Amino acid sequence: MKINDLVAGVVLFALAVLILVYAQTLPPMPGQRYGAAAFPTVVALGLGGFSLMLAGQGWRERRPDTRWIEFSAWAHERHTRGNFVIALVLIAVYVLLSERIGFIPLSIAILVFLFLRQGVPLRRGVTIAVATTLAIQLAFSDVLRVPLPRGLLTEILW
Amino acid sequence: MDTALAALYLIADPYVLFIIVLSSAFGLFVGAMPGLTATMATALLVPITFFMPPVPALAAIVTASAMAIFAGDIPGALLRIPGTPASAAYTDEAYAMTLKGQAELALGAGVVFSAIGGIFGTIVLVTAAPALAEVALRFSSFEYFWLVCLGLTCAVFIAQDSAIKGMIALFLGLTVALIGLDNPAAVPRFTFGVTDLMGGIDMIQAMIGMFAIAEVLRAVAAANLRLPPPKPVSGPIFKGQWLLTKKYPVQIIRGSAIGTLIGALPGAGADIASWITYATSKRFSKEPEKFGTGHVEGIVESGAANNAAVSGAWIPALVFGIPGDSITAIVIGVLYLKNLNPGPTIFLEKPEIITALFTVFFLANIVMIPFGWLAIKSAKQILAVPREVLMPIVLMFCIVGAFAINNSPFGIGVMLVFGVIGFLMEDNGFPVAPVILGIVLGPMLEQNFVTSMIKSDGSFLFFFERPIAGMLGVTTLAVWGGMAWKGLRALRPVPA
Repeated sequence: MKINDLVAGVVLFALAVLILVYAQTLPPMPGQRYGAAAFPTVVALGLGGFSLMLAGQGWRERRPDTRWIEFSAWAHERHTRGNFVIALVLIAVYVLLSERIGFIPLSIAILVFLFLRQGVPLRRGVTIAVATTLAIQLAFSDVLRVPLPRGLLTEILW
Repeated sequence: MDTALAALYLIADPYVLFIIVLSSAFGLFVGAMPGLTATMATALLVPITFFMPPVPALAAIVTASAMAIFAGDIPGALLRIPGTPASAAYTDEAYAMTLKGQAELALGAGVVFSAIGGIFGTIVLVTAAPALAEVALRFSSFEYFWLVCLGLTCAVFIAQDSAIKGMIALFLGLTVALIGLDNPAAVPRFTFGVTDLMGGIDMIQAMIGMFAIAEVLRAVAAANLRLPPPKPVSGPIFKGQWLLTKKYPVQIIRGSAIGTLIGALPGAGADIASWITYATSKRFSKEPEKFGTGHVEGIVESGAANNAAVSGAWIPALVFGIPGDSITAIVIGVLYLKNLNPGPTIFLEKPEIITALFTVFFLANIVMIPFGWLAIKSAKQILAVPREVLMPIVLMFCIVGAFAINNSPFGIGVMLVFGVIGFLMEDNGFPVAPVILGIVLGPMLEQNFVTSMIKSDGSFLFFFERPIAGMLGVTTLAVWGGMAWKGLRALRPVPA
């Protein structure tokens, strides 16, 4: 997805203004002139300055047929666009549901789903998903002691 | 002598040697697989190195990154797809050699001169780092302030397609570094009441996002992930390499030296080193007309350069805590976790670990020759691993890796957000490395800036009073001036 320099510059400039305004609300360090606000102010000024330059560059290079946002080839194709969105959604689902459902069932489900989208045959996909999940569980949970969420399987396996 | 023996004792541990073998295999695989990079290999290793003592943890990173940079040559030569961006500069050349039936010579040159470049970079690291540390011991907040400024500027200056976009990327990184309690006043900033943000944004989670998730997203959005069958490699790989060494000694030394220097400059790593040295090789060649037709000279020079850069990048990382490339940005995070705070004092406090680390560098570059041979011979099998299966597995590793940093699903969210940001940035020509540099160096810059401002009571003249600070300050301002002048010239309307 290509965003025009003018649009990107304006959005980033707005972000810089927000940082600058927010920085002024930070409390001063008692007895000192420079505290928590000093550095964010410098960063906001820097970001703002360069964003304006970017916007200026976009403005100079604009043409009558300039598109503000242009989608790449994959975004026009239904299947590849779907793959992209699904990958994002699956990660978000993992963040939201992993504690409740647990690593093992979620990981298998996510992997099988992604494999099928990529055209891997079902049987092969399920086998690899189960094997990968169990390998990660063994390596991270049992060897490295990372407390991967147990979720639904808490009662059954532990 | 005692230090050397202690270091040897640390390395000779079978566990450490086992880790070196394992991470070699991991690095070779990741490097050889298009779409997986050396930085990604390092970022994915971090959650695993958490649970290791310092020496094996660092050994794993050193070995995996060095191997991955070499292994990127393999699909470059056999498929015309670089395995990592560091091989991109000479991929066409290597593939042209393959088409001429010289795949063995191209890949052999890749492995042999990678090892030589890596060893050259290591020798510079071993000699320069302790000497620089002696000087750095006398540094105050003023010197560090200018040094960080200069480092951040280098990142933009060298890596630029567009200097403006580079600067914006850098300031975005500094913005991310503002989040949390880690500031001189210990005031929660940009946390908006979210407890998980109090500790700030974890750099490793951000990097897994920007370097791994962004790549996974790019892969799943591609129409076809299947790789074509690679060209076969059947002949002897090392035949003719000695002749090349005798024919191109200047190229080897020049590539290694430039590579080490570019590695040591903050923000620029193996990929930029290889582009620049491929260009110097062609520029100074006696047969520049042969470049692009399957001529090995450029591969010799830039193959040495990209591995020299891997070692060179550790110089500022160890001495100043300023990463030389994106891999050492991760390393700095790991050093802090292992209570080995980078800076000049590390050479005094933990000399045995530093010596052990240097030994690992030599070891990794030496074992690169047999392991590299094995990887080249198994190229067909490695490249037969279906990417449509691999990419979802990498995604799962990213999720678990991001979670393992602080055992919180919030970290996976951070990874996701940075993955999307990284994807968008790359699509729009913003370099990603300055963001990471900004995140890593933000707290250091702020601390030295605020301390210096308090010490000088707001007067900028104090920033130039000490001799080294003055020199660094003037250099930094000169670079900024040069960039501004260049920028203004670019703004002038072009006469029609």
